[in-house]
Amino acid sequence: MESIKKGVVYLLLAVLVVTQLYPLLWLILYSFKTNEEILSGSFFALPQNPRFANYTEAYEAGNYLQYLFNSVFVTVITMVVVIILASMTAYAISRFRWKLAPVALLVFLLGLMIPMQATLLPLMTMFSKIDILNTRWSLILPYIAFQTPVAIFIMSGFMKGIPHEIEESAFMDGASVYRIFRSIIMPISVPPIMTVCILTFINIWNEYILAATFISSERFKTLPFGVNSFVSQYAVNYGNIGAFLVMGAIPVILIYFILSERITKGMVAGAVKG
Amino acid sequence: MNVLKVRWWTIGIFVLPCLLLYIMMVFVPIVVSGYNSLMLWDGIGPNKTFIGLENYRNILFNDPYFWPAVKRTLMYAVFSMLEIPVTLLFAILINRYVRRGNTLVSIYFMPVILSVVIIGQLWKTIYNPLDMGGMINGILNSIGMEEHMTAWLSSPKFAMYSLYIVSLWQYFGYHLLIQYTGVQNIPTDIYEAAKIDGADGFKADRYITLPLIVPVFKISIVLAFIGSLQAFDLIMVMTGGGPAHATDVISTLMYNSTFQEYKYGYGSALAMTLVIICLVFTVLINSVFKRVENKVS
Repeated sequence: MESIKKGVVYLLLAVLVVTQLYPLLWLILYSFKTNEEILSGSFFALPQNPRFANYTEAYEAGNYLQYLFNSVFVTVITMVVVIILASMTAYAISRFRWKLAPVALLVFLLGLMIPMQATLLPLMTMFSKIDILNTRWSLILPYIAFQTPVAIFIMSGFMKGIPHEIEESAFMDGASVYRIFRSIIMPISVPPIMTVCILTFINIWNEYILAATFISSERFKTLPFGVNSFVSQYAVNYGNIGAFLVMGAIPVILIYFILSERITKGMVAGAVKG
Repeated sequence: MNVLKVRWWTIGIFVLPCLLLYIMMVFVPIVVSGYNSLMLWDGIGPNKTFIGLENYRNILFNDPYFWPAVKRTLMYAVFSMLEIPVTLLFAILINRYVRRGNTLVSIYFMPVILSVVIIGQLWKTIYNPLDMGGMINGILNSIGMEEHMTAWLSSPKFAMYSLYIVSLWQYFGYHLLIQYTGVQNIPTDIYEAAKIDGADGFKADRYITLPLIVPVFKISIVLAFIGSLQAFDLIMVMTGGGPAHATDVISTLMYNSTFQEYKYGYGSALAMTLVIICLVFTVLINSVFKRVENKVS
């Protein structure tokens, strides 16, 4: 009886592996097929001769490296600034004695409920007025702002738990608040900083709508936007499209393979606290 | 609990850079949106006419696409929330029967980390008609159900359901991970004590797992709910709200009336409506759960 139950459970879990992974595997197979093979409609066939030319063609036709560079640039800057700004604010909110601290926290928390797409239009008019529309800054600034609420929430939660004695003794030794923040609080706060890094990375690396709305020149397109414009441009070149999609997915998949445990932990922490 | 008493300008140095940027990028736009929502304006010309609440009145009473979009948004939320009990069941099963459950869960999690563009374009090719190499139609064809083949995304009848499926597929791993972590965090000695009292298997789940999982369950429900209210980019990538408005939700309606039809005032009013709906429902769902939690504990 118990073994039948076990068998049923394993079968269910296996089916789930197939439904969750098969579409991704299918895309990889697809990316090695010729147009004829794709159009023949046999959905489980392996490609006859893996067509690597799909990749070289897609690479030559699209600006893959440019997109990749833009995504790295935007994501890294956003991550660094979010960590600096959010940890400073979280420190002030959780450790300083001031009446408005809970209000400040509430203001940031309110931001968690505001849908980013509602700000698209006013941000666009604002950016075109100060002439930064269609630059990397038009992405980085709102990205930072929309990542700070979760970051502050996670970090202030952690910083509240740091024992006060550490700070007090440093204070007695004549260290300034800035010094304490930099040399004591920041090094202790590495775990929540990692969590924030992961959340910011996943969110910003994959962001599409802001990029598609604010960026128009090829030079500044990020990877998701670049992939999407490649796909709509080469609409019938199925093999190349498949290859470009795989290339678009590879960076984040690689990072996931290396850091999967950290990423899943970080995402849970972000969800639980967000 | 806050120990350090520092001068006010020290607080300023720590808080202001972040707060100012945040206000400029999040709050100012919302206020500007609120102001524009009272205007008749095409976004380009200087002609801004104050028309009061006319835009809102038109949204609520004259826009043939608004209420269907609200209905789809809510359906989205309902489907996403119905998924959570399923993920909880799987979490319990994995926790009980699989030794290295973490690895399995992180496999299920894969689709979550991919960009909505990759997911959307991948599923577009999956839904393609047979003569464009679509997978679903290929399967139907090879098992002899040719009569059920359709161009899924260009059929007004099926397009929205096709989108729901993609969302459910992508976020299954996310909620499974959250529930699994929750189940794992329940101390095992409670189960051992229950076993001595004669409760194990599903009986133990009924009296131990379920009550203790409520807070984690709530997190998933809230996330699924808010996520679906804001559901937007997947639809933009896959259908853009079409065919013939069949997949419009509130956000796509807003985006298209702003950036396609240049009705900026009207689009702003839709944006404000979305913000209000999000705020109201977030408060509502939190208070519902407060009641449930009080009853359970």
